[in-house]
Amino acid sequence: MSFILRRISTTKTGKQIIRDAALPGDMITLGRDAGNTIHVADLAVNPHHATISSADGRTVRVAAQEGLGFDLNGRTETVANIDSGAGGELRFGGHRLTIAREDEKIILLVERIDELSQSSKDVDEAKAFSLQGVMLGKRMGAWVFGVLMLLAFLIGPIWAWYSYKNVNERPDGYHADSAWLSGPLSSAHASLKNDCQSCHVEPFVAVTDKACVNCHTGEHKAMSMAHANAPTAMLLAARHPPGAGERILKGFADTFNKPQGRCVDCHTEHEGAGPMPATPQKFCADCHDGMSARLKTAGHPTALADAADFGTSHPEFRPLVRPGPGGKLVRTTLAKGIVDYNGLKFPHDVHLQATGGVARMAASFRGRYDFGKKLECENCHRVEADGVRVKPVEMERDCAMCHSLAFETVGGVTRTLRHGEPDQVVADLTAYYRSAPPARPLQLGGMQRRRPGAYAEGQVYNIYFNEVAVRPSRAQDAVRAVFSKGGACYDCHTIFAPQAGNGWRVAAVDQTPRYLQKGWFDHDAHKETACADCHTAAPASKASTDLLVPGLRQCRDCHVGEGGARVVKVETATESPCAMCHEYHSDGGKPWMPPRQRKKNTVAITNKRLDASQGVSMITGTGGRGLYEVTWRTPSLHAARQGG
Amino acid sequence: MASLFQRRRSKATQVERVRERRHEGFLRYAGFRWAKISGGLCLLIIVSYALIDVTPRHNGGSWYGYTLGTIGALLILWLTALGYRKRKMTSDHWSLKAWTSAHVYLGLSLIVVGTWHTGFQLGWNVHTLAWALMMLVILSGLYGVIVYATLPQALSNNREQMTQMQMLEAIRAFDRQLHTAAQPLTPEDTAPVLAALDEDPFAGGIVARLSGRYPNCATSAALRALTLSRSSDAGAREKVVGLLKQKEAALARLRQHLKIRGLLEIWLYVHVPLTFALIAALSAHIISVFFYW
Repeated sequence: MSFILRRISTTKTGKQIIRDAALPGDMITLGRDAGNTIHVADLAVNPHHATISSADGRTVRVAAQEGLGFDLNGRTETVANIDSGAGGELRFGGHRLTIAREDEKIILLVERIDELSQSSKDVDEAKAFSLQGVMLGKRMGAWVFGVLMLLAFLIGPIWAWYSYKNVNERPDGYHADSAWLSGPLSSAHASLKNDCQSCHVEPFVAVTDKACVNCHTGEHKAMSMAHANAPTAMLLAARHPPGAGERILKGFADTFNKPQGRCVDCHTEHEGAGPMPATPQKFCADCHDGMSARLKTAGHPTALADAADFGTSHPEFRPLVRPGPGGKLVRTTLAKGIVDYNGLKFPHDVHLQATGGVARMAASFRGRYDFGKKLECENCHRVEADGVRVKPVEMERDCAMCHSLAFETVGGVTRTLRHGEPDQVVADLTAYYRSAPPARPLQLGGMQRRRPGAYAEGQVYNIYFNEVAVRPSRAQDAVRAVFSKGGACYDCHTIFAPQAGNGWRVAAVDQTPRYLQKGWFDHDAHKETACADCHTAAPASKASTDLLVPGLRQCRDCHVGEGGARVVKVETATESPCAMCHEYHSDGGKPWMPPRQRKKNTVAITNKRLDASQGVSMITGTGGRGLYEVTWRTPSLHAARQGG
Repeated sequence: MASLFQRRRSKATQVERVRERRHEGFLRYAGFRWAKISGGLCLLIIVSYALIDVTPRHNGGSWYGYTLGTIGALLILWLTALGYRKRKMTSDHWSLKAWTSAHVYLGLSLIVVGTWHTGFQLGWNVHTLAWALMMLVILSGLYGVIVYATLPQALSNNREQMTQMQMLEAIRAFDRQLHTAAQPLTPEDTAPVLAALDEDPFAGGIVARLSGRYPNCATSAALRALTLSRSSDAGAREKVVGLLKQKEAALARLRQHLKIRGLLEIWLYVHVPLTFALIAALSAHIISVFFYW
């Protein structure tokens, strides 16, 4: 029985050289030890690993020696009988033993099939030494991340839009397009934050005015009485010529279909939670600065003057005045010599003098009315309950303290002429003279004999009977006297003498309640300032036709432009954006301003302009007694009615 | 800007030669030309942002915001194109070094372009996501620039004139010697040696790669086992222990090499995928603006 050990070696050129060697003996030993018949230099093989024998020269018996087995057809065995004719493959550590039969001989082929060590394996240098082997590929990561981003932030939101395309109001809950919300909505629109489609109706179409007026139904018309009637072309032409930046913006807008002149151009959203911010001056000045020339060029001539900044560029006020007696009210630019006929005669200078008859009379009433040593503006002019405007002067309330219409006292009750009713005055006076005959002198009574001569002129008979005889014509005289120069009515009113078919008539009195129709002036906000600080012409005014409305110059003593711009020296500057006096929506109401800003300005004046408030506090007292508080003067007219 | 690069060819070649001699890297390329350009750009943006008064306030939707956004988006696309450029050989004097230098400095200027584009209005939305991804990409790139400037020295010191394959070959040689030397050992002693031979020098996850720590190293284990073992012939065992020590040192050098290379490469695994995530988020950002115009 012979075993043949076959060795195959490969030359460098790849040629295989086969060497066969006959092995002595019937029992072949296999192991790592050098004493074995087949010496396998493999650490995974035991020194004496197995024996190989054959009893019949055909079947090969392989038996493991030292506990460690071998692999046969994938299973670990310790003993195996192999038909050499069929052949077999056994595995010892990293070596393979192939059994075959050739020419009645058993061929044993031993080959190393595993690498000697792990490091001996071939490696791809570029891959093994870099991170490629241990990291997910960059390309893979790029795809995964990119697709995730597109799914979550592009497809998802578009899907959210698509699924509520024709739905009026979205249900609550998460909508993928909320990831597109570029900033918090203002507090008024906060409830819409999940419903992008309430404003962004169509994709790739800029928010339209239609989306706004769907909800803002009422306000839209009232939005701007001054601007709503202007055609859009005119509004667009009014805007200032675009700078480089605006041209860029316009380029973007034109290129990407974003029409201009929409509500949202000014009412920007997604600017952060909170209330609408105060309107900045630029909002107005963008158009009104140099607007008249632009509009003229564009074919929309306007009567509006240019305005850019209150401190430096603002037209003079144009108050509403009556240029002639009984004439129509017109807006006229404030200038020296402007007259306003209200039908009254009232010299302010006489009434405001520190000395003279008026001051002395006022002083004499100090206990009874809230007068000082002389008359002050507040003694006659009273403000409305909201403090904004001054009430029209009322005779009974504001003049009658001094200008009494009393003519008789009957049993402690004073009778006064009826103000505002000339016919009644005539009737009252006539009746007075008729109903009260002259008192009969005592001498005319009794039965005693009278001496002649009592009828002589200057004697009692003559006086009495003369009185009785002329009584009715004395009434005529009294009436004429009242309505003529030096009479009670004539002093203050323009009187028309009786004409055919008419009695005495008094010219109508029209006091303008609001001179500045376009701007808003709040007297209450200026209550720390003395009246004459602004109404500078009042103390020297000799006629009531003098227009005493302060001009721009007086305002600019304190008020400067939004950015502090000014043309005159200002001690305590109050930054005044347009919206302080003008209301864009022009509904006649008070301009809106954030509460904090309003307060700040008042405090500034109170704190700093002490000299201004001093004059007022001298009259009204300090602290709680504000200038316009209703308690500042006894309002009652009882005293006047009692003949005071 | 084109005039900046219009040089005569011969002069360019000469300049290039001087640069080669000085080992001028992409950071100091052309006397920090791109650092100056992008620094100027940043300064221009910061100053003009403060001076220009846009209503109602700065944000991406103002004309200034649109301008910065357009610049930023185009810049991002151009910066991404470096990946294409570096795979393309050209003989142009718009060298890869010039391109890389511009990539680094213009990429850094994107911090200002992108952040100032936001008008500092950030929130939890796709717009801020795009900004955050951009910042991550830039920061990872910044890390890359820093390691490229510092680590190659360490890499070179560690190699000691050896190539990577020579390092591996050294380990293979020790493995062969170990295999031979361990033949006389008893089976108890050969088992740890066998495990050491079976150990893949490139094994270990990303953590092991970057930290350079391999607590389950089979070679170290075999060294410990054989030092304590008394079972085989002392002479043979001592020889094996000596070889194991040498293998351990060679392995440590290779692992240090792998660690430094890992640190040099890891940022690209953030930089590149996040760039594409950024481009996707940027597309969503831009489309969203026009979609809800």
